[in-house]
Amino acid sequence: MKPNTNIDAMLAEREVIVCVGCGGAGKTTVAAALALEAARRGRKALVLTIDPARRLADAMGVESLGNRPQAIPREVLDELGVPEAGNLSAMMLDMKRTFDDLVERFAESEEVRDRVFANSIYQHVSNALAGSVEYSAMEKVFEMHQSAAFDLIVVDTPPAQHALDFLEAPQRLLEFLDSRLVKMLIHPAFKAGRFGFRLFHRATQKVLHVLERITGIGFLEDLSEFLIAFDAMSVGFRDRALRVRALLLGPRSTFVLVSGPGRISAGHATDFLDHLEAYGVSLAGVLVNRVRVWPSQGPPPTDEPPRSADVEALRDALWASEGAGYPAELAAEAAAKAATRYAEWVRADARSAQPLRERVEAQGCFWGCIPEFERDVHDLSSLGRVADRIAGQDEEP
Amino acid sequence: MAADSQRSLLEHRLVIVTGKGGTGKTTVSATLALAAARAGLRVLVAEMGPDEQIPRLLDPRAPQAGYAGCTLLPGLRAIRIDPFEALAEYLTLQLGVRAVVDAVVHNKAFRQLMTAAPGWRELITLGKIWHLAQLDIGDPPRPEFDLIVVDAPATGHGVAFLDVPRVVVSAVRAGPLHAHSERVEQLLEDPEQTLVLPVALAEELPAREIAELTDRVRNEMGISIDRVIVNAVVEAPFPAEVSDLDEALGRLDGDLDLGALPSPRVLTRCARYLRSRHELNRRFAVEIQHTTGLPIVELPRIAEGIQSPDQISSLASALLANPVFLE
Repeated sequence: MKPNTNIDAMLAEREVIVCVGCGGAGKTTVAAALALEAARRGRKALVLTIDPARRLADAMGVESLGNRPQAIPREVLDELGVPEAGNLSAMMLDMKRTFDDLVERFAESEEVRDRVFANSIYQHVSNALAGSVEYSAMEKVFEMHQSAAFDLIVVDTPPAQHALDFLEAPQRLLEFLDSRLVKMLIHPAFKAGRFGFRLFHRATQKVLHVLERITGIGFLEDLSEFLIAFDAMSVGFRDRALRVRALLLGPRSTFVLVSGPGRISAGHATDFLDHLEAYGVSLAGVLVNRVRVWPSQGPPPTDEPPRSADVEALRDALWASEGAGYPAELAAEAAAKAATRYAEWVRADARSAQPLRERVEAQGCFWGCIPEFERDVHDLSSLGRVADRIAGQDEEP
Repeated sequence: MAADSQRSLLEHRLVIVTGKGGTGKTTVSATLALAAARAGLRVLVAEMGPDEQIPRLLDPRAPQAGYAGCTLLPGLRAIRIDPFEALAEYLTLQLGVRAVVDAVVHNKAFRQLMTAAPGWRELITLGKIWHLAQLDIGDPPRPEFDLIVVDAPATGHGVAFLDVPRVVVSAVRAGPLHAHSERVEQLLEDPEQTLVLPVALAEELPAREIAELTDRVRNEMGISIDRVIVNAVVEAPFPAEVSDLDEALGRLDGDLDLGALPSPRVLTRCARYLRSRHELNRRFAVEIQHTTGLPIVELPRIAEGIQSPDQISSLASALLANPVFLE
């Protein structure tokens, strides 16, 4: 059993917090709020987002975030209660540029670099190459961590079909470069054209013939050239990928699972938790975003229909307050109905999260809820309210 | 105001339902498929993700549809398109010999290559959909499916997958792959046949994102799009005569004892929440209409999410309603 983690310890001690979860759960908002809260506690925090939809720029109230950390101005930090010792920066990855950066870094010569950039396959696939978005993001985390300009980096992960794409992506890219077929394609003989196929093992010949028949030889030549150039970079890439992985899975980093309310989100979050556990990732806790909470002490009332005497008491109070012309009877009924309806939502949110909550708490991880606000979180002051709630979690009954 | 020259959703061959994760895209796909089957069409609903959801949404006892597909109701089939299976089918059609294809697709090196290779999953999946749209049955032949509903993958890239055939047509110079991608592209760009149906929540960030998405689909990809589904709209919480109920409640003594009813303070908060969510949804539904220039179809919010096929049924008529400009 691992020691009980809480939000305070996480925000004080960790150097990297990775926010994971399904799309639509509000990962970007939560990541930004965690970074803000850490800054309020005097840390130099960076929040890094990958979502191409520019959500963080919106949430941070910054018009555009380049591929470089952008500091939130001091006067804004003052308003948000960030002390002198702390600061907050935000950064959004420009995918295309990030991948170009990788090529720049690992290409052994300018010639190799230019060959990659000029290759028609690279131009089309550098964004789509499986896991390249995820990999570039984690690479950036590593780079920022190395720079020591920040003492906490909060990362918002891209929505992915597979939960841990960003961890597995480098491995997959390496396996791809190591695969026999790729080795064949980068064999110099391949450039000699189709007769070169004879050099290869029978099974591989078959595969190459199939590929050629479907795609045309010109495509295979382009692909071969792309892979030759890429292979030249793989030593540097491999070394770096291992270090990125060691940082993310090591003791300096931790993961926060962000979930939405409701049965379907809780189901997705449970699947996610399975993946994280299978991978041996250290989970700090779960934050459920946009939960409906009952606005007073204690649980919401049960769903019994309201007693008519009580509704009449409310009606009389409304008459007394609003005057005889007010449709108080209608209003009293509508008010009782609204309370019933809202209570139903509150119970539904609590009910659907319960199995997940029990599992998470049994593992000694924190469980926190961020209530749904009347307005969407879209600027720094509302982000501050989310941070308040995250900060206050441990005081909740 | 009703939008002019709207064709019904049912008068298309292919409807591609898109949206961010959490918008209810899968529910909308299931609802459309059900509504079309009830209207007497032969319908296929296709999922792409690793987890199959639609059969169970429509019938809790439904089997897994898988790549072979299953019949959920008379006239309604479901399928989950696995890219590796679609690739095996495509290669068999191209090469004619299943044994060769099996040797290739089970080749470890080939699988490694394909696991990391970009774009082909989208391409082969769209190719399979194209193929399904060409299938005829009976004599005289008629299309096997009147309507194919595609639950598109929810990724940060939104509709990028629809762009893959176009990219391939420009990157691959000649050969069968070029020709086949071109046919898929033609189907997607034919407004008589194909419609992209975006699903969005009426909230601030989705309202901005959906405008980017519709702009890209229409102007860069040239695929038809004629309405936005605004999902999970909180309906007006109080009768019109007491539309400011939360304010009236707020003027009462907050601690007044109302027996089993919550105190006026709590009642006020509940009422204010419902009203503000409703007003927020209305405001952003209008904004979606302004930023996209498209009419809107609203679907009501269901408190605990879809729990039963009955709830899907109850959404069908709202989904098929004529899209409107709200103001």
